[in-house]
Formats: sequence, C-alpha cells, structure tokens
Amino acid sequence: MIDPVTAAALGVPSLATDSAKVPAVNSSQAAAANGVGTFADVLANVGETTIDKLNTAESAAIGGIRGDTGPREVAEAVMSAEQSLQIAIAVRDKVVSAYLEISRMAI
Amino acid sequence: MDPLTAAMRIAGSGLDAQSNRLRVVSENIANAQSTSRVAGGDPYQRKTISFAAELDRAAGVNLIKANQVGLDYSAFPIEFDPGNSAANEAGYVKMPNVNVLVEMADMREANRSYEANLQVVKQVRDLVSMTIELMRPS
Repeated sequence: MIDPVTAAALGVPSLATDSAKVPAVNSSQAAAANGVGTFADVLANVGETTIDKLNTAESAAIGGIRGDTGPREVAEAVMSAEQSLQIAIAVRDKVVSAYLEISRMAI
Repeated sequence: MDPLTAAMRIAGSGLDAQSNRLRVVSENIANAQSTSRVAGGDPYQRKTISFAAELDRAAGVNLIKANQVGLDYSAFPIEFDPGNSAANEAGYVKMPNVNVLVEMADMREANRSYEANLQVVKQVRDLVSMTIELMRPS
C-alpha cells in the first residue's frame, strides 16, 4: 500500500482510496499550519537558497575580476555556493531514487 | 548557526586580519629608507598593528578584528649625510625607526598564521563535503 501523501504527490489517485486521500489533505494542512510547509515547499525553499547563493557567488566573482572584491571573499562565496549546490544535487538524487523505488513497487 | 559554518567564518576573519598585518609590514619595509621632505624634518614613522577578539552576536562566536593602525614612537636613528636633502644644518639626517629584520620576522609570522587559517578553511570544507557525500548512493 502506497503512503497516501506520496500517492497524492505522484498524482495516482486510483491507487489511493477515498478514505486515504482525506488524511493526506489533512496532514499537509497540518504541516502548513505548523509553519513547516509541505515537502514540495521545503524543496522549493532549498532550490531558492541555492540559486541565491549561486547569484551571490557570481557577482563576487565578477567583482574579483574587476578588482573590487578580494580573493578571500570570492573564494568564500564560491565555496558556499558550491556546498549549497552539492546539497541540492544530493537531495534531488535522493528524491528521484525514492520516486523510482515507489514506481518499481509490485502492486 | 551551524558550528562548521561558524568555523569557516572565524577562519575567514583570521585571513582578513593577517592580510592587514602583511599590508602594514609591507608599508614599513617599503618606507625603510624614506626620509623627510623638508630639511631636518621627521622621517617615516614605523606603523604597528594589533588585534582584538570581536564578538559576532549573530553567530555567538569570537571573530578577530584588527585594531586601528598605531605608530611606533621609538627614537629615529641619526645618520651623517650632508648631501641628503633632508639633512639639518649640521648635516645629520633622521632615518625611519624601521628595523627590516624585525619586519621580516613579523612577515614570517603573518605568513604562518595565514597558512594556519587557510588549513582550517580547507579542513572545514572537506568535512562538509564528506558529510554531504553521505547522502549519495554508494
């Protein structure tokens, strides 16, 4: 039996009974009420932070080339962006492999 | 704040402080022979730099910050050089109170401290990427 939240996220309502869909909606509402947001919101947040850091690193690098920023600031910004990107890639790989795992599941 | 990120920030402030120190040392070495523009005037005065811990309230850690650059008030050595434009009526010139050997030692120390902070940055970066690697499928 697929977890109702995952079933709703995958868009396969046929797999989830009507009674299973109701708690799925309730649980996401409860999560939103707690200020945590749904899993998709969290992922979107991670993506936004990563893009922000990449932009910062880019402007720092341009500043370094023009001579406005010191090499230390450039290295720090680029390293921070690299770490965020690595985290985002690792999380994405995990999410994709989880979905693949579910799609391979014998029903 | 994440302790590893904080360590990275502290090491970054150390790099900043040591580069400031190197700047002051290079000023002193470059001006080790700079005499006065006017006859009998004072030559270049050696600059000194000191550091203090500074609390970063956002992260709750102690960073390092360079204090204002100070001046060395020790006496100027006097040389007999009547041909120099900075010589007084008796032909003596005040030379800067910079000892190049002392500056060299200071430079080595700044160099070593910079390298130490750089090693901290490297270690922290390696640890963080090893932790992220945990999420990768093996």
